[in-house]
Amino acid sequence: MRLATDVGGTFTDLVAIDDRAGSTGVPLAAKCHSTPPDFERGVEDVLTKADIDLGATAFFAHGSTVIINAITERKGARTGLITTRGFRDVLEIGRGNRPDLYNLMYAKPKPLVPRFLRQEITERVSYEGEILVPLAHDELPEIIATFREESVKAIAVSLLHAYAEPAHEIAVCNAVRELWPDVSVIPSHALTREWREYERTSTAVLAAYTHPVANRYLDALDHALGSRGFSGHAYVMQSNGGIAALETAKDQPITMLESGPAGGVLGAVAIGRLIGESNLITLDVGGTTAKCALIQDARIPITTDYAIERTRVSAGYPLKLPAIDIVEIGSGGGSVAWLDEGGKLRVGPKSAGASPGPAAYGRGGNRPTITDAHLLTGRIDSGYFLGGEITPDMDNVTRVFQDLSVKLGTAYPETARGILRLANANMTNALKLVSVNRGHDPREFTLIAFGGGGAMHAVALARDLHIPKVVIPLRPAVFSAWGILNCDMRRDYVRTRPLRLDAAHLSEIAAVFDDLEHGAREDFAADGVPLDRLHIERFADMRYDGQEHAVKVTFPAGPVDGAALRRARQEFHAEHERAFTFWLDAGVITVNFHVAAHGTVNETGIPGLGPSDGSLSDAIRDTRTVDFDLDGQLETRIYERTLLGAGAGIPGPAIIEESDTTIVLPPGSRATVDRYGLLHIDVDGMDSRFKT
Amino acid sequence: MTDPSYVEPDPFTLEIIRDGLQAASDEMFIALGRAAQGIVIYECLDYCVGIADASGRMVVQGNGVPLFIGTLESAVREVIDKFGNERDMEPGDIFAMNDPYCGGGTHTPDVCLVMPVFADDELIAFTANKGHWSELGGKVPGTIAADSTEVFQEGLQIPIVKLFCRGEPVQAILDLLAVNVRLPRQTLGDMWASVAAARIGERRIRELYSKYGHAAWRQAVDGLLNYAESMSLAALSHLPKGTFEAEDWIDDDGITDDPIPVRCKVTISDKEFVADYTGTNGVVAGPFNTGRAGLESGVKLAFKALTDPASPANHGAFRPLRIVCPPDTVLSARRPAATGKYHQAVLFATEVIWKALAPHCPKRLPAGHLAAVCGTTLIGRDPASGNVTLLQQPLVGGWGATADRDGENGQFCAADGETFNIPIEVQENKFGILVEQYAFHDDDGGAGKRRGGKGVVLDYRVVDERIHFSGDYGRHKFRPWGIAGGGPGTASLAQIARVDGSTEARQRAVSVPVNRGERIRLVTPTGGGYGDPRSRPRQQVLEDLKNGYITREQARRDYGVEVEE
Repeated sequence: MRLATDVGGTFTDLVAIDDRAGSTGVPLAAKCHSTPPDFERGVEDVLTKADIDLGATAFFAHGSTVIINAITERKGARTGLITTRGFRDVLEIGRGNRPDLYNLMYAKPKPLVPRFLRQEITERVSYEGEILVPLAHDELPEIIATFREESVKAIAVSLLHAYAEPAHEIAVCNAVRELWPDVSVIPSHALTREWREYERTSTAVLAAYTHPVANRYLDALDHALGSRGFSGHAYVMQSNGGIAALETAKDQPITMLESGPAGGVLGAVAIGRLIGESNLITLDVGGTTAKCALIQDARIPITTDYAIERTRVSAGYPLKLPAIDIVEIGSGGGSVAWLDEGGKLRVGPKSAGASPGPAAYGRGGNRPTITDAHLLTGRIDSGYFLGGEITPDMDNVTRVFQDLSVKLGTAYPETARGILRLANANMTNALKLVSVNRGHDPREFTLIAFGGGGAMHAVALARDLHIPKVVIPLRPAVFSAWGILNCDMRRDYVRTRPLRLDAAHLSEIAAVFDDLEHGAREDFAADGVPLDRLHIERFADMRYDGQEHAVKVTFPAGPVDGAALRRARQEFHAEHERAFTFWLDAGVITVNFHVAAHGTVNETGIPGLGPSDGSLSDAIRDTRTVDFDLDGQLETRIYERTLLGAGAGIPGPAIIEESDTTIVLPPGSRATVDRYGLLHIDVDGMDSRFKT
Repeated sequence: MTDPSYVEPDPFTLEIIRDGLQAASDEMFIALGRAAQGIVIYECLDYCVGIADASGRMVVQGNGVPLFIGTLESAVREVIDKFGNERDMEPGDIFAMNDPYCGGGTHTPDVCLVMPVFADDELIAFTANKGHWSELGGKVPGTIAADSTEVFQEGLQIPIVKLFCRGEPVQAILDLLAVNVRLPRQTLGDMWASVAAARIGERRIRELYSKYGHAAWRQAVDGLLNYAESMSLAALSHLPKGTFEAEDWIDDDGITDDPIPVRCKVTISDKEFVADYTGTNGVVAGPFNTGRAGLESGVKLAFKALTDPASPANHGAFRPLRIVCPPDTVLSARRPAATGKYHQAVLFATEVIWKALAPHCPKRLPAGHLAAVCGTTLIGRDPASGNVTLLQQPLVGGWGATADRDGENGQFCAADGETFNIPIEVQENKFGILVEQYAFHDDDGGAGKRRGGKGVVLDYRVVDERIHFSGDYGRHKFRPWGIAGGGPGTASLAQIARVDGSTEARQRAVSVPVNRGERIRLVTPTGGGYGDPRSRPRQQVLEDLKNGYITREQARRDYGVEVEE
């Protein structure tokens, strides 16, 4: 048995595949409410619900929103920072920039460590890694005493030039651990070996800030698995699109920051490969947020220029770790509708989450959410809410809509339609951020929609953006968890070491790669991954002599010799010309050496789906009136997805239901079931790619 | 007459073109910054890119710094004037210019490139960019000296010339550039980066145009300009109406000690925003003058900040704006006035509108800020190669408090924007210096119910045998102003500590030799306060003390809060 769980802000999902001989290979899925702040309880709930035998499970992979949740809600640990003397304000000065150029009221992101918790220590390392001033060990006890007095729970250590020589950071951390064994302490060099002190400090601070929360969580999870008889390999999904052994993740839990979204994007790439679509836009609508990513040429979009909460008008908090490039907005099923000071209707970003949840839960939710609006418009069946697990409190839903409608001066069905229109506009903007705003024409892409709410909005959004086709995977509500099952292990090793790319530096270049790859082999061996399952990719960030910014270039595998250098140089010239229209007859410098190591642990197939036994009409469960906004209130057929066979074609208007998702097909659209059970929706009923 | 084949473009297509233009501008911006060799471009982002329509109206502009908002449109217009009529423009051509008094000129190191974009031999648009290239020759390395008195000391002047002809570089111009500058590899590297940006923009515009056609293109462009105009007008209606005046003083011109008054009278109505600089000081002897393009940038920044900072800063946005300034003032200099430090004049053009309106627009404008780029140039040697290197960078300082919060600590001045400080780890790697501290200072100033943001102190210790130090540090005499009883901020300082124990103040430094072991200390202003400091809640004063933002003495004297040792 192979198993993945994915913890989101509202729901915790599970997907399991029985890969023993004789099994059908059909994934088993389950869904429970998340249980913030003790997210591991939700994982236990979903394991119980799915009735999984953990003793027979060899592989367990896990994605979690726990870290990003701690940051966005500012619920990380009270953090102290130790810097080189004279530099405690680097964190607050940042880069001094003002992205909102014409706004003279611009406010910088507030540092996560206030000034009095930024302590300085006497020491100095040069840019060449030479110790200029020895570390003043005797200053540490007082710093630690201050931190203890101020109830600090985590300490980031960021010293100048630690990327070149980490000895002082290591010494500080060792001393701190000795003086105060139960505090989390994170040195900057362990996260990134790149220069630029502000970015490295910011990375260390974010890691420290989330370390206690994440570790408590991972320990609890580990314990829960153990107590249920699990003895297989446990992995954690990471922001870089790979998985890491759970034990390793405890050292650097910050690397699991964007783990949930990463699962969805990997799943989309896998689906795209299966159906021959390499240009995809993903839409993942959960309970709290909507997330989008753009996949071109089947490549997972990874960025190394990542910052939390960075926008066109805010500098955000830099995090120098490779991460899947996604855009996320506060617009999910639980997003709450409210009126601003000007009396304008707004939706999100605040979410009712799992508790109190939407008004329909009847657990004290007293403001309308997007989910409630779907219920009122008949898109979600009130008799089959959450797969029939909950009987929605429609009286409460009607009441909260009436309250809001009185303030708005509208009738409440119109309020529900308005909320959905606003939610769609918000999601359209997010989709634009990854597509048109980056120069891509959405007409050349397929939208793949998942998460509990993706399929309810997908066709409307596709129409807004003129995306011709939408694909809905099976069990979309747990798709990110399924995606996690498709992951390989991945670790990235990056080191800043400016070297001229020429014969004179051949041995040094070879030595750096050798060192990084040696580390990779050791780390994977420690995880029990055999060498024949380890695949190593080399990259180098290169630039012309005199430039500052570098271009990432694939560095040839095999021996690092003269021929390899020549190929790397040619590759760089070509890549530079592609990016900047020109190349120079000048010296080439390699700034960062980057090794990406992948350990293959998974090969997931998708079982085929035969044609249905019965006719299409057998799949019709019901007929009811559904409000399609401007298209009117229409008598609509309700289909049961599990009864649809390969080749079935369904014209809109229609609703297709499965246990925890509703798929909305507005008039004019048309869905076809393929041989894997995937739904292909022709948005305007005229896409030439549809052959039926 | 109506074209029978004309199909009304759908709104979605128009939006795609508009977003496509924005994306093209973003892409040009990134390309220029990433390919450049000059640190002023790749770290300080002292450059801009833009796209104009065939008649020269700016449609989108991406700025690293607001100093350039007023420059690209006149550059494109003057290219059209000089080359448009003769049909002497062909696909693949690129024009270059840096004349400070025309073509959107600022100071000589800022070189502007303009590239016409053709579709089927028809001129459809221009891409333009302007960046602070590494070195343009002149009396000192880095080109700009705080004591230049005429443009001929400020390096190579480039009238509007053809730099590329049908896709090929004009070798004669490249050769001319190479022999007139001190760091030809870097300067030409910056040139290539600028060429890259121009060409990438051209490519993207042609793609958009060929995909969506002429009618949609036209409509999208007009729509963008009209939208920005309507946003400006809507915002104008919310501003206070009437006439507002202010005066402020640039410290001196680097030659004499005399303050330079800058005056503005702002008149706001529902339809128009007029900035009248009559009464401003005449052209000065030193390099603290700006030409008309710089003045325009300064006014446009204040106008955007007051109206709508979020909508596009294109031709349409500025239709309601009118600028009045007699010729030959410090803000409207003509040849051969020196303009090397033009940014100080531009800042004061912004500053006087800001000062006039801040008390009336508390949601748009804070109290006075550092109002100076605080540019430093160090000429030294690359420790690794021994080659001459040039460290040029502005410095962050304090911003003024606003009606409801403390000022920002350690941020670049308004004339800078998406400007990044150079990491200490990068500086030490390249320039033969050791940074000993980079921190907030606690000089007296900026007290208020809301406190002015903190200025910084930066100490360089020279580790190489000798380096040369140039720089200018504004507001060393006239401190940032407070509002509504808030105190003024602090003054800037540049000080060299010699090995013999003596110190010297050098707020206007030109190639001052500094030897191994000596220290350059740079101190930037703290911003002005807002409201009576005595009304600051005690709890906040105590927090400031705990954080070391204020001293015990300041708590007692300025805020009336006594704290025991």
